[in-house]
Amino acid sequence: MENPLSEARQHSQTIIEERGKRIKLAAEIGLARSSSGRHWARALRRRLYRKPPQREYIVKNPTPLLKKEVPLVAEVVADVAEEKEEIEDKVRALQRLVPGGEEMEVDRLFEETADYIEALREQVGVMRALACILDGMESRDGDKL
Amino acid sequence: MDRDLFSHIDTDLNSISYLSLNYDHFDSALSSIVSSPSAAPTPPGPNDSLVLRELIGRLGTICNNKSASVGAGDHSANTSCYSTPLSSPPKSSLHPLPNMNPNPNPMPFAPDPGFADRAARMPCFGGGPHMAMSGQHSRVSSSQSLMDAGMTGGVQLEGELPVRENGAGGSGANNGRKRKAGVKGKGKEASLASSGTVNSKISEEDQSAKRCRPDCKAGEKKGGTEEKNGNCSENNNGDRENKNDSDSNNANAKPVEPPKDYIHVRARRGQATDSHSLAERVRREKISERMKLLQDLVPGCNKVTGKAVMLDEIINYVQSLQRQVEFLSMKLATVNTPSDVNMDNLLQKDMPQACSGSMQQPLYRSAFSYPNQPQVAPLNSLLATNSIPNLGMQPSSNLPFDGFGNANPQIGGFWEDDLQSVVQMGFGQNQEAALSSQSFQGSGPSSSDMKIEL
Repeated sequence: MENPLSEARQHSQTIIEERGKRIKLAAEIGLARSSSGRHWARALRRRLYRKPPQREYIVKNPTPLLKKEVPLVAEVVADVAEEKEEIEDKVRALQRLVPGGEEMEVDRLFEETADYIEALREQVGVMRALACILDGMESRDGDKL
Repeated sequence: MDRDLFSHIDTDLNSISYLSLNYDHFDSALSSIVSSPSAAPTPPGPNDSLVLRELIGRLGTICNNKSASVGAGDHSANTSCYSTPLSSPPKSSLHPLPNMNPNPNPMPFAPDPGFADRAARMPCFGGGPHMAMSGQHSRVSSSQSLMDAGMTGGVQLEGELPVRENGAGGSGANNGRKRKAGVKGKGKEASLASSGTVNSKISEEDQSAKRCRPDCKAGEKKGGTEEKNGNCSENNNGDRENKNDSDSNNANAKPVEPPKDYIHVRARRGQATDSHSLAERVRREKISERMKLLQDLVPGCNKVTGKAVMLDEIINYVQSLQRQVEFLSMKLATVNTPSDVNMDNLLQKDMPQACSGSMQQPLYRSAFSYPNQPQVAPLNSLLATNSIPNLGMQPSSNLPFDGFGNANPQIGGFWEDDLQSVVQMGFGQNQEAALSSQSFQGSGPSSSDMKIEL
């Protein structure tokens, strides 16, 4: 017979994870809505609403090296051919990171990346603020109780 | 518990607060949070969410303010979470806006010893005989002395400008180069740019020239290849060429043209002039331009040279930001809040696009002539209000492509409006929040589905 305590703990853990995922989803939706004029925001929104919410939108493994995909027209200036290839790989990695990036060319990609970075920053700031506030409230209420 | 793992987030926030003690808003907001104001005596429940929204509003706006503020605090927040050992140089060079008062973040006008040298070496100063050059010397030194005198020299410089304008061809460019060479005189340009068409034209060239300068120098060192020619537009073509060929060469001094609807690209020395390569070059310049902006956006990228490394940095930064979002959402999940707080709603509440104006546009947005839409920050999605301006960074006139003509209203006046609307919306929200709170407690995606609205 399983220890009921560990069961309960697991259960609460799952609950927390579920909440976390929902919150993350909400955060991403908020993020997408914040810059709705942007290509990446539209792409993100499409992705979020098209697929079932259980899907994990976690960042892929942070290895920028990828196998070759559609040949990029990346006109990034580089001295040597291999350097150029390396740069193209990285550009592709960036394309994957930024939602909707695969459909864009390099200059547009950079533009979208800049916007995405700013939006992410703001989102992080907001969530931090929220966490701090809630912590404060929680401790306060905890004391009262 | 899990809380310990997340504690450094709070320390980050504390560091933010510590570093921005000069912000009154932040101070009052923090103190209001800490001292737990009016909510204490009142019964918990609807008031809590009200207070919550208020505080979120203040904090969030301040967070945005913080991220838009002078570099130090921003960098601490970013670097502590970003966890790269790169030191982030202050972004203050971006902040002094030419539109603002002539003394926002005054850069000290320390006379640059090499200034006269560099200025003298500028080929476009007349681009003519040595006589003009020597004549330029005197002007250079006088301008330098003016700058030493400080901002008040701005007025006198204006007086000088027409004189220079009449000088040998391209003296407009001369001024641009002189003023930007070695001196980060953004405040100076503020006073100059405010005065008139002459100055505005020059300041435009200045901006693009300013951006081009370091690139040009670097490009020159590489033997005039296209390497770092990146965003050097026609303004600096004559520059580089002449530098390569020493002063006596006048043949390639190109007078500066005012930028028109489309970008004029001059063929540089020893380069093909067919349409293909020209278009390619334009494209490359655009790309480099954008990379520069990205460089400014990503902390710690300024010292990094080389596209590959910079791309790496950018990728890492985006990944780390995404991870932070995920991380924070997990943290928010663990927080035990009063039952009437609906987190999903808070984070994704949509705001009507009612930005009445924006204090500052994000840095890059003013660079790329983006269609002029009011951009609502995610903050707005957090707050149940619709009048919080989009806070970002905006040195709009520094960059060549300025698609924004937005006014910069002061943010102070927004506070009361925001809080009022927050309160109003808060009342309306409460019933909804109360209704959904029960389902929120339960597990399963149903509650989130309920909240998701297109």
